[in-house]
Amino acid sequence: MHIPDGFLDAKTLATTAAISAAAVGYGLKKANEELGDKQVPLLGVTAAFIFAAQMLNFPVAGGTSGHFLGAFLAAVLLGPWLSCLTISVVLFVQMLIFADGGLLALGANVFNMGVIGGILAYYIFMAIKSSLPKTRFGFLGAVAVTSWLSVVIASAACALELALSGTSPLNIALPAMVGVHTLIGIGEAIITTVVVGVVINVRPDLVKIYGQEGISGTKTAGGVVGGQ
Amino acid sequence: MKHFFIDKYSEVKSPIRNLDARAKVIIFFALILLCVTTPPKAFLVFGGYYLILVTILIISRIPFVFILKRTAVAIPFIIMIAAFIPFIEGGAGGSYNLWGVTLYQRGVLILFNVTVKALFGVAAVTLLVSTTPFDELMEGLKKLGVPKVFITIASFMYRYIFVVVDEVMRMKRARDSRNFEGKWIWQAGAIGHMVATLFLRSYERGERVYSAMLSRGYDGEVKSLSEHSISQKDIMLTIFIVSTAILLHLSYVFVKLFAGG
Repeated sequence: MHIPDGFLDAKTLATTAAISAAAVGYGLKKANEELGDKQVPLLGVTAAFIFAAQMLNFPVAGGTSGHFLGAFLAAVLLGPWLSCLTISVVLFVQMLIFADGGLLALGANVFNMGVIGGILAYYIFMAIKSSLPKTRFGFLGAVAVTSWLSVVIASAACALELALSGTSPLNIALPAMVGVHTLIGIGEAIITTVVVGVVINVRPDLVKIYGQEGISGTKTAGGVVGGQ
Repeated sequence: MKHFFIDKYSEVKSPIRNLDARAKVIIFFALILLCVTTPPKAFLVFGGYYLILVTILIISRIPFVFILKRTAVAIPFIIMIAAFIPFIEGGAGGSYNLWGVTLYQRGVLILFNVTVKALFGVAAVTLLVSTTPFDELMEGLKKLGVPKVFITIASFMYRYIFVVVDEVMRMKRARDSRNFEGKWIWQAGAIGHMVATLFLRSYERGERVYSAMLSRGYDGEVKSLSEHSISQKDIMLTIFIVSTAILLHLSYVFVKLFAGG
């Protein structure tokens, strides 16, 4: 569920939109430079994947359920900037065809999911990863911790924006939002870790940051390319 | 396979449907922007915006119930985030007593403000999408300066949503027929495997699609067959609606100025 129009005031909308536009702009530049036209269809299909994966609900507690968000998973698979670009396209299409999230609030939603949950989480991940042993276990441990954290900090950012706009007071919004997402984050962590683990086994070339580290037992990128 | 209601009414013929996509984007963007920036106490002004929207709705011949249903998606968020606000003590203004429950004026105003704006935003976007086929909308946004790569990714996403969602539905059915109950959070692991499979299938589909496109002469440019030119009439109508909304927006300031309040 994303922020609709009307919940945020002009200054919050303008600030988050400016940051998001800069991040997405840089992502577009990266997409042009690094990948050329090849990645455009690929990013489109990946965006459709994130959208579809969000339809899978998992149980949280007491009959409620959360759904997979996938912002940090996208960052692991695509890198921080392309993931932010992809997430922004997902939010854009969701806003258009499902009226999920507001038109003017799009910048704020991209900020929470793409910039905080994607880019910032990616750099936190790099920091956590470097402090853990360079093994498969260490890598997946860092994935688990960061994917939980990415959901929690994204929800905290959302609460902060609502409070700054004078919509709901921080002392109520922050504990409520963060509390719920602490639980949802556990499901996110389980799913993200399993996904990254499976992808490392099947297509290690797709998880570039895993291959770069020279982790023992890693098959070299391109060695196991299948399904072309 | 069951699909949602994307593009359901976008072929209903009407003057709004025939309007150039650029004109529609500008009109609805302006309406939402003006509505969101209107001060919460300008009750009549909000009424005016809704009147404009309903007028467009009637001309567009989109079923009223459809827009209402779609607009309802904003309600859970409003309830979650804002429904409790009238009960919080404090702020300027008095309080009301309703059957023994105290409501505070400041909070009631906040709740009114977010509800009226959120519903307007959702209704306006729904109306825009219901009267414009997706490819036309993308073409219009591209002409209005949204980066080409962004639009191309969005178009591909839209094309493959149906395919990937079908895939998810099949996987869900297979999972449920194998007695997955999904009661406990650690069962999220099973969903992890589904997501992983889904990702690999989608990604490899993307690679195959790219190869297929390349062998058919794709050079990074997506060509559109539709040729839309914005007519004089479209421009006039856009100016008329947007300026009406701007006058409405300003009317509150004028009234306040002359009333001395």
